[in-house]
Order: sequence, then C-alpha cells, then structure tokens
Amino acid sequence: MTYKEKLQQASKEARAAVIGLIGTIIVWIVLGFGVYATGIVIGSTPLWIITGLFGPFLFAIGVAVYLAKVVMKDVGLDDIEPIQADAVKGDAHVAR
Amino acid sequence: MSQGNPFALIPVIIFLAASLAVAVWVRMRTARGNYDFVSEYFIGSRSLGGFVLAMTTIATYGSVSSFVGGPGQAWLVGWGWVYMAGVQVTALFLLFGIMGKKMAIVSRRLGAVTVIDAIRARYKSDAVANISAVIIVLFFVAMMVAQFVGGAKLFEAVTGYNYVVGLALFGIVVILYTTIGGFRGVAITDAICGVLMIVGIVVLAGGILSAGGGFSQIMQNITATNPEMMEPLGGGQMPIGLYVTQWLLVGVLTFCLPQSVVRCMGFKDEKSLKNALVVGTIICGIMMICVTALGVLAKGVLPGTLADYGNSVDNIIPQAIVQTLPSWLAGIAIIGPIAASISTVSSLLISSSSSIIKDVYLHYQEKQGKKVSDVRISRMSQVFTFAVGLLVFVLAVVPPSVIWKINMFAFGGLETAFCWVLVCGLYWKRANATGAIWSMVGGTFVYCALMAIGFKPFGLHQIVAGITLSLVLMLVGSWIANRNNATAAEDYDEVFFPA
Repeated sequence: MTYKEKLQQASKEARAAVIGLIGTIIVWIVLGFGVYATGIVIGSTPLWIITGLFGPFLFAIGVAVYLAKVVMKDVGLDDIEPIQADAVKGDAHVAR
Repeated sequence: MSQGNPFALIPVIIFLAASLAVAVWVRMRTARGNYDFVSEYFIGSRSLGGFVLAMTTIATYGSVSSFVGGPGQAWLVGWGWVYMAGVQVTALFLLFGIMGKKMAIVSRRLGAVTVIDAIRARYKSDAVANISAVIIVLFFVAMMVAQFVGGAKLFEAVTGYNYVVGLALFGIVVILYTTIGGFRGVAITDAICGVLMIVGIVVLAGGILSAGGGFSQIMQNITATNPEMMEPLGGGQMPIGLYVTQWLLVGVLTFCLPQSVVRCMGFKDEKSLKNALVVGTIICGIMMICVTALGVLAKGVLPGTLADYGNSVDNIIPQAIVQTLPSWLAGIAIIGPIAASISTVSSLLISSSSSIIKDVYLHYQEKQGKKVSDVRISRMSQVFTFAVGLLVFVLAVVPPSVIWKINMFAFGGLETAFCWVLVCGLYWKRANATGAIWSMVGGTFVYCALMAIGFKPFGLHQIVAGITLSLVLMLVGSWIANRNNATAAEDYDEVFFPA
C-alpha cells in the first residue's frame, strides 16, 4: 500500500464513522422521543427510558464493531518512513 | 481543622500512593531503555496497547463533572438529562474513526509527538502553532481548576476533612506523578483510574439502590412526587435546543479535543486502535449512562429540594455517598470521581507542558540553530509541568461555583478553536494558515465573548455560534488567501495530500 493509499483508507474510515454518527442520531431520536410518544410503561419504568438509553448505546457498539472488523484495514503503520519536514524542524530530537 | 473520618481516608490514600508508585515504576523502567526523551515524555514512544488506549481516552474525557456535576443535574431534571448524556456513546468511535488512522499516519510521517506539531506542519505556520499553544494552555488550566475543585469538594463532603487538605493531598500526588511519569505514566495511571471509576460507580449504585428500596421503588417514588422527571423534556427544563447543543458539546465535537486527539498519535499498532475502538465505546457508554442515571436514582434517597442540599447540584453525589454508604465503603466510592478528576488533570497537564516546551520553546531554539540537550529538555519539561500544576492548585484554593459549567465552557472553547483547524487540515486540501488563524481566533473570541455576556443567539448555547463562525472564517479566510496566491492553492502538502 502506498502512502497515498494509506491516507485514502484513513479517509474512508472517517467517512464511515460520520455515517455511523448519523445512524446513531436517528436511532437516538426514534427510540427516545419516538417511543416516549407511545406512552408505554413497563413495570414502573417508561419504555422510552430503556430504549432511549440502551438503543443508541447498542447501536454505537454495532458501529464500533463494524468499523473495526469491516471498514478498518491494516495499512502498515510501521512501514511509514519519517521525513524531515521543515515545518517540524524543532522536532529534531524526535526523529529516530 | 474539621472532624475527619480516617476510615474514609484510607482507601483514597492507598489509591494515591499506588498512582505515584506506578509513575515512579514507569520512570525507572523507561530510564533503563534507550528512549528519546521528547518522544517518550510527551507521547510514550507510541507504545499504547488497545486497553490502555481505550481507558486513558475515557479517563481523560470523563472528568469529575461526569461524576459530580452531571449526575447532580440529573437529580434535578430527571431522565431527560440521562437521555442527553447518552449522546456520549459516539465519542470514541468518532475520535478513533475520524482522527485515529489519519493522525497515526501523518504523525509517523512527520515524526510529530504533539497535535501542534501536526498543525504546524499542515499549515506551515508558527503563528497557527503558537495560537494553538496559548488556547490549549488557557482552556486546560480552566478545566484543571474545575477538576481539582470537584475532587476536593467531594473529598471534604465524604471524608469530613477540610477542602484544602483534600486539594493538597491529591493535587500534590497528581502533579508529582505527571511530572515523573510523563505521557506513558499518565496513560497507565489513567487506565487504572478508568477501572476504579467503574468500581466507584458500582459501589455507589449498590448504596443508592439499597437505601432507596430498589430500582422499582425509587422509580415509583419519583413518578409519584416528580412526574416531570420521567419525561424527556423534563417538564420544560430540557428544551430541544439544549439537546441540540449538548449533542454538539459532549457528542459530535469531542473528537477534536486536543487532549483526545493526541492519543491517536500514541498507539502501538492498528490492532490496538481496533481494540480501543470497540472496548472504549462499550466502557464509555456504560460509564456515562450509569453514572448519570445514579443522579436520578439519588432522588430516591435525597427527596428534598436543592436548597436542602446547599443550593448546588455539585453537593448531590457527595450527599448520596455519605447517606447511603458506611464510611469505609464511602472511601472506596469516592475513588471513582477522584480518579476521574486526577486522570483528566494529568492528561491536561502533560499536554500543556508539551504545548509550551515542545511546541514553542524547542521549536524556536531549533529555528535559531541552537541544540538543546536532552538533560535540559528533561529538566525544563518537568519544571514546567510542575509549575503549571502548582498554578492550577493555587487557583483552586478559592473554589469557583458550579463545576460542570466551567468544564463545559472549556470543552466548547477547545472545540470551537480546534474543530475546523483539525478537520479541514486533515481532509480539505485548500485549507490554509489564513483560514486557520481566522477560524481559531475569531471563533474562540466570539464564543468567549458570548459566554461572558451570557447571550445565546436563537436561544442556543454559545457553542453553536462559535463553531458556525469558526467554519465560516475557515472557508472565507482560506478562499481569500488562495485567491491572492494562486500558486499556493496548488502547492499541496506531500504529507497530508500527496499527489
């Protein structure tokens, strides 16, 4: 994988995370405000509290697992050759 | 001095002593290795594994306000506040998804060890880097003061010892272990703190549920006495505008907080990133939802009005601990919030130190062609870390009011300053130094000014105006600079946007 392809893969992962965010927001609205509108109560707890808290949480875990298992690809971080950029020359102590 | 309870004090002292011992152990271990000082002290030589990466990120993100101010507000408002706190489940997948791989790649390419290193390289501007350093230090100091105050107030309420005793006790320990252990020491103690935060939540949950007669009983009592607490809008106390702004403040925009982003530069390999992504999302969600829910459930054991508890929501969790747990168990329960406090302080402290020593001092020495010895850098870094810690300690001696508001103010300021600088820097090749400076300075200034006068445009939190203006200034500034210098727009960076 070239350096450019590594960055393209990182951009792909970022886009997937943003899509995951949008999905989580939708789930949060539907399972919170949406379920509240039904007025259902289980035991002494309104259903919206259960679905509104744990629904988005479980969805977020799903997003994280999907990102880690499907979207993220190993790009070989160890292969990246450091350059001596002028902009970080104050960093001479770091380059090894 | 007030009457203290030594049984409540012992677990805290053991915890603090253990944290200090870990930092000393890390220092001794790294001293034996052949590490470059700057890389080791400020980024732990990029060696964080998955679990430590997840826990240090959570411990940095989850502060004492997550344990004290947030649950206290939930006690006042009800389940709507917990529903709102649930937006934090996105924090880690956004951070590691958007910033994780990209920052890992460019920081390795650049040999960068701080966020400002990467910003300087991207915008090729010392001005952008210096402004970043100043903003980081100012907002970090505000956040650290809030952490110290929150931890010391809790300590006073639960152990019975004086506020200043608590402040001195864990203030000195956290300053010392950060100074000694550097980034690696901070990350490892953060991981321990993260685990202890969960222990604290479990212990307190046991106390509240037991004293309140169980979950169902508490819920029935709340329904009978405060039915509005069972509604998402909290009887008008949780307007939709508040949800929108909290989604921005503690949900969507947290991925660009510099203290979190720097962790994306410090992990060992991609397996660590993936593990941290999943483990971190699970633990962060459990922690933030459960700890805030405890605030509502505390209504079952603290049924009075706010005036009955000192007119501050910050007193609710300390009162719940004192009233529901025996003193020795109370000592264990407060380790959670104290761990949250010191883990955030340590991370901010090491980042502040790197901003000044690494990003300003070292850079200018190098620019003038001066070599600075590792011994001198080491000494200066540690002295500066200690000095900033001491400054925060002194500022915290006279405590400001409501902690979560200070914390949220600093969160908003950092997000306004860094969101578009980082996002556009990494993902928009036409972004340039002019846009970055306009965005950072203009957005932050307007945000702070609106906060100072208390004006909320359209009734929305000042973060909305700050972040919007910051984006507009980034776009306009970059466009103008590119228009005035047509070749600059094509002169893309080989590190960030290779041809």
